[in-house]
Amino acid sequence: MKYTAKPLPPVNLPELKQVGKPLRRVDALSKTVGATVYAGDFSLPNMLYARVLRSSLPHGRITRLDTSKAAALAGVACVLTAKDLPQSILVTDMPGQTGQKRRSGSDAQVLAGEVVRYIGEPIALVAAETLDLAEKALQLIEIEYEALPAVYDPFEAMQPGAPILHAPDNVVARWKIRKGDVRAAMRTADLVLENTFQAPYQEHAYLEPEAGVSWIDERGVINIRVCTQVVEHFRSISLAVGVPQNRLRIQGTMVGGGFGGKEDITVEIFLGLLAKATRKPVKLVYTREESILAHSKRHPYVIKHRTGVMRDGRIVAAEIEMVSNSGAYVFLSPYVLLYSTGMATGPYRIDNVSVDALSVATNTPFTSAFRGFGAPQVCCAYEQQMDEIAKALDLDPLEVRRINYLRKGDCTAHGQEITSEAWLEETATRVLEALGEPAPDQGPIKVGQGFASYMQSYGRITWLHDTSQAWVGLEMDGTATIRAGVPDLGAGQVSALCQIVSEVLGVPMHSITIYHTDSATTPLSGTSTATRQLYMSGNATLQAANTIRKTLLERASKYFEEDPQNLDLADGKALVKSDPGQALNLKDLITVCAAEGLPLANLAMFKAPFTDPIDPETGQGRIWPDFTFGAQAVEVAVDTETGEVSVLKAVACHDVGRAINPGAVEGQIQGGSSQGMGYALTEDLSVVDGRIRAGSLSEYLIPTSCDFPATQTIILESGSGVGPFGAKGIGEPAFTPAPPAVANAVANAIGVRIFELPITPERVLKALGKAP
Amino acid sequence: MEPEVISLTVNGRRHRLLIDPNVTLLQALREHLGYVDVKNGCEKGDCGACAVLMNGKAVNSCLMLAVQAHGAEIVTAAGLGSLEHPHPIQEAFADLGGAQCGYCTPGMVVATKALLDEIPHPSEEEIRVALSGNLCRCTGYGQIVEAVRAAAEKLAAAETV
Amino acid sequence: MMPEFEFWRPQSLAGALRMMAEVAPQIHPISGGTNLVVDLRGGRQRPRVVLNLEGLSELKGIRREDGHVSVGGGISIAELLGSELVYAYAPSLRDAAGVFASPLVRNRASLAGNLVDASPAADTAPPLLALDAEVQLASQAGSRWVSLDEFFVGVRKTVLRPEELLVAVRWPVPADGTRFGYYKLGLRKADAISVVSAATAVEMDEKGVCVRARIALGSVAPRPVRTKAAEAALQGKPLSEETIRQAARLSAEAVQPISDLRASAWYRKQMVETLVARLLRQSMESTPRMEGKNGA
Repeated sequence: MKYTAKPLPPVNLPELKQVGKPLRRVDALSKTVGATVYAGDFSLPNMLYARVLRSSLPHGRITRLDTSKAAALAGVACVLTAKDLPQSILVTDMPGQTGQKRRSGSDAQVLAGEVVRYIGEPIALVAAETLDLAEKALQLIEIEYEALPAVYDPFEAMQPGAPILHAPDNVVARWKIRKGDVRAAMRTADLVLENTFQAPYQEHAYLEPEAGVSWIDERGVINIRVCTQVVEHFRSISLAVGVPQNRLRIQGTMVGGGFGGKEDITVEIFLGLLAKATRKPVKLVYTREESILAHSKRHPYVIKHRTGVMRDGRIVAAEIEMVSNSGAYVFLSPYVLLYSTGMATGPYRIDNVSVDALSVATNTPFTSAFRGFGAPQVCCAYEQQMDEIAKALDLDPLEVRRINYLRKGDCTAHGQEITSEAWLEETATRVLEALGEPAPDQGPIKVGQGFASYMQSYGRITWLHDTSQAWVGLEMDGTATIRAGVPDLGAGQVSALCQIVSEVLGVPMHSITIYHTDSATTPLSGTSTATRQLYMSGNATLQAANTIRKTLLERASKYFEEDPQNLDLADGKALVKSDPGQALNLKDLITVCAAEGLPLANLAMFKAPFTDPIDPETGQGRIWPDFTFGAQAVEVAVDTETGEVSVLKAVACHDVGRAINPGAVEGQIQGGSSQGMGYALTEDLSVVDGRIRAGSLSEYLIPTSCDFPATQTIILESGSGVGPFGAKGIGEPAFTPAPPAVANAVANAIGVRIFELPITPERVLKALGKAP
Repeated sequence: MEPEVISLTVNGRRHRLLIDPNVTLLQALREHLGYVDVKNGCEKGDCGACAVLMNGKAVNSCLMLAVQAHGAEIVTAAGLGSLEHPHPIQEAFADLGGAQCGYCTPGMVVATKALLDEIPHPSEEEIRVALSGNLCRCTGYGQIVEAVRAAAEKLAAAETV
Repeated sequence: MMPEFEFWRPQSLAGALRMMAEVAPQIHPISGGTNLVVDLRGGRQRPRVVLNLEGLSELKGIRREDGHVSVGGGISIAELLGSELVYAYAPSLRDAAGVFASPLVRNRASLAGNLVDASPAADTAPPLLALDAEVQLASQAGSRWVSLDEFFVGVRKTVLRPEELLVAVRWPVPADGTRFGYYKLGLRKADAISVVSAATAVEMDEKGVCVRARIALGSVAPRPVRTKAAEAALQGKPLSEETIRQAARLSAEAVQPISDLRASAWYRKQMVETLVARLLRQSMESTPRMEGKNGA
C-alpha cells in the first residue's frame, strides 16, 4: 500500500531570528567536557554519608526494631526511625500548591512505622563518617517482621477478604466517562469487537541514580542540593523535616534524567532530617539497585475495549474498562488514571463513550509518574484496537482511523473542544509515506509494518491552576540574566528560555546567563513534568522579555524618531527595520534607560487556564490546556523460529506547534521513540510476588546503541499551540505512539496479535502456537 | 587491610595516592582525587558511565581496583578538553545534540575517543558497536552517532591541514 | 560493600603460583576484574588475598605451535577479537568475543577469567568446547592439561584446585574443511547475557561426509555442554536436512534447561533445536555464516 503525505494547510509562521534554529544548547558544552556538577558530584568538608534501611517483605508488621547497636558503632552520627520524625505521613499536596479546594490524599510513610507495604519501603536512616561505616551500621540494625498476607494483583485486591492497604477496598482512585448512550449505539453497530490489552511496568532507568547533599548554612537554613523535577517540594519537605517553609532551601542540579521518576520526593526528606539531626553536611547517593527498588514505576494496566463499529469503519460506541496497579501507596495514581480516562478513546470522534477506570493498591512497587503519565498505556490499547477493527472490517488501517480522527473544533470523549490543529491524518500519512514499502520476507523472517496515531496533553490539569514565574533582566553591559525555578532534566528546558530571550531582546545566546532551580533565589516556575515547561515557563519568560522589550523600544523610538513598530532588537542592537544601518548598541540604549529610571528587569507570572474539576459522574469538562498530535510508524522483522524481533525502520512525525530548537525537538523525538520501543520489546521489570526480579541494568534491559536504528523525525509546525510562538509540547508525546506502533508492526508481520508487552521472543513463539 | 601507595597519571597530572586495595578505580578517581566528571551509573559494568581511557583503552573504571591502575595513564572526559578548549569530539557532541541530560556523556566521549583513535573513519555499525557498552536513556543514540561522525570528519580535516 | 583483602603483586608466574600455594583457598586471582570486582562488591567472594595476574607476560601470547593454537589465560577478550590466528583457526571463538558483554568489558576481561568463573552462560566456552580445547592448570607442584569438557563440573564449579591457576588454553588446529557456526541469542542486540548460545564445528571430507562433529551449548545446563549423542549421530554421515534435523532434535533432548528471569525451559529447549539446525544447515550450504550476534 502506497501512502502519500496529506498536504498541509498554509501556515503563516512569522520568520524568527533565534527561535527555530538548532542552536547549541547553553548547557551542552559543559556536559561534554565533564564540567557539569550533578547531585552526587558535590562534597563538603566533614560530610557524613547516609544509607537507608529498606523492607525486605512485601507486607509485614515490624515487631522489633533495635537500632542501638548501629547507633553505638564508632563513627555513626545518628540513626533515625519513624518515631524520630515530626511528620510520619508524606504530605505532597500542600495548601496553595494547586487550586484544588480538596487536597489530594497521600498515604505514603516517610519512614515505615508499624507496617511495611512493599519491598524496598524505607524504614531507617543512618549517617556515618564513611560510606563503609554507614553500611556496617545498616547491618547492625536488628529488625524482625511478622509477615502479613500480601496481595499482588489489583483484581485480587478488590475481592472481599483481600488484605486492605487502602481503606475500604484498596481502590485508590476512580474516574469515569459517560457520554451519549453506549448501550443503544452498540445495538446499532454492524460489529462489536472486544479485546483486552495489557501494558506493563516500566523502570525509568535514568543514568543518574538519585543523589543529594544537605547542610545547614550560617542562617540556620537547611540546604539540600539535589536532582529533582520539582523545586516546590520544599514545602512538603520542610513539613516532614519540621522546619518552616522559608528555612529549607532546595538547590536543584542539572538532572541526569527524570522521565517522572524524580517527580516524587526521593532523597530530600532523608537528607533534611539527617542534616537537622547531626548539624553536619550529609550525602546520600543511591546505588543503581537501590534506585530501582526505591523509586516509582510506570503503572501496569489491564484495559478492556468493547467497540461498536459500522461496516464503513465509523466507530459508533466505545466501552472501556481499565484497572491500574497503584502499588503500595497512592502517590500520583489518581492523576495518572485521569490521563488514562480522558485519553482512553484516543484521537477519535466517538459520540457514545463509557469509560470506567480504577486504580488499585497492592503490595508491589509503588507506581507514579512516567513520561506520558497514563496516556501511553491507553494508546497501546486504543491503537491496537484500531488495527483489530481494520482487520475485522477488512479496511486499511489508515482508512479506519481517517474516518474517525478528531478534527479541530471537535470535542474529546471528556467534552473538551480541540482548539489547536489536530494534524492526525497529516502526521500519519507522513510516517507511512516515509516508511515506504516493506523489506521482503526471507525464509522464517517475516517483515511487518505498523503505525500508531496518538493524542497527548501538554500542560498540567487545568483545575490545578498552574502558574509559572520567570525573571528576566538586562545588565548594564548589554548581557542578559534569567532567573527561573525550572528544573532541567536534559531536554533543554533552560536553554529554550535563553533562546526565547535571545529572540525577543536581541541578546546573543552566548551573552545570556540563566540561574535556575533554586527555591531561595529563583522565582518558582513549577514542575518539570506534564510537558509543561516550554508552555508555562516559556510563556512567562516571553512575557517578561516582552515587557522589557516594550520599554526599550519605546525609549528607542524617541531616539530614532520612529514608531516602535518599525524598530527591532537583534544582534545586540536596536535598529530600524526598514533601514538596519540605523542602529544603536543595546548597551547604550540600556544605560540611557537606566539613567532615566526605566525598569530593565521584569518578573512575569504566566497562568494556565484555571478551571473546575470535571463532573465526577460523566467525566465531562476541560482537563488540559491543549494536546499534541502525531504518529509513529515502524517496520520490524520477526524471526518466526526464534521469536526475535528487530526494528528495521522507525519514523515519527509530530506537530510541535513551533520548534523553538529543532535539534532539541529531534533529540526528544528520537529519545522518546527509543524509550517506547524498549518498553515494547526489551524492558521487563519482572515483578513476581511483589519482588522486582530485574534488579539491575543487566537484567532490566534498556536499548543499547545496537538495538534500534535512529528514528527518522519529521517535525511539523502548525503554530497553533498555546506555548510561546505557537509551540506545543514534545517531551511526553515523543514516547506515546512508539510502543503501539511496534505492537502493530509485529502483529502485521506474524498475522496474530500479542496482547501484552514486552513482546519477548517467547511471547512471539507462544502467539505462533509454538509453545507447548 | 593495609593501604598501598600507588602512582598514576590522570589527565596529564601525576598523583601519588595512599589507597586501600578494596577501593575501585572509580571511587579513587571520584572520591579521593576529585575527578567527578567520571560518573557512577551502576558500579557493575552495565552502563559505561564510568568509562575512562587507561593506557589508551576505554575501560569501566568501576570494574577495576585502583591498585591495578598503579603506573597507568588515565584520561577522563575532562582531560580531553575544557570549556575554553574543547576537544573536537566534545564540540561535535555539543553542537549536534549528543548530550541531553549529559550523565552518560563523559563516558560516551571517552568511548568515542577510543574508537576514533583506532578507526578514524568508522561506519555507522562500527560506531554503534563501539558505543554499545555506554547506555543512554535520553537521546536514542541518533544524534550521538551523528556527533561521532562529525567528530571523525573534524579530526580528519585537522589531520590534513 | 567491599570486603577487606590484601593485594599481592607477583613478579612472575612462578611467584604467583608460590603465593597461591601459600594462601589457598583464601586467595583469588584477578586479571581484568570484570567478574571479580562485581563479586567482591556483592559479597559473593571474600578472599583474604587478591592476587594480581595482570601484566604477567607468561599469561599472554597467542601462538600457533605443534599443531595447536595456544592462548595465554591472561589474553583479553578484545585481544581474542583482534587476533588473526583466532580469526583463522577459531572463527566461532572470534564471533563469541564480538558479542561478549560490551567493548569496555572486552578490553579488560580475560579468557581465563571467563572460563574459571564457569557461568553456564560463559560466552567463550561453547566455541572452545566445539574446538576440543584443553586448559592448562598450573600450580607450584607442576601443571596439567585438562580437556575443557572435563574442566566444567557444575554451576560455577570446575576441577580447578584452590592453589591452581588457569594459565593457557589450546586447541588443535582445525582440519581444512572444518565449518564453524556460532550464535548467541539474547534479549537485546548487544551487551546481554545469553538465553541460549550454540557453537558448532563440523569437519567434512572431500565427499561431504562428516568426519567429526561438535555441538556445544551455553545457558541450557548447569555448565556449558556438548551434546555428544547428536555429535555421534552425525559422525560418518553426510550432512543432509535429515541428519541435521536429527542432530538438532537429539541436542534438544539432551538438555534440561531451567526457567529463569530470562527465559522458560521450553523456550531454551526449542531454541537448542532451532539454532543447532540452523548452524549445521549453514555449514552444509556454505552459505554466509550467521553473524555471531543476535538480530536479523
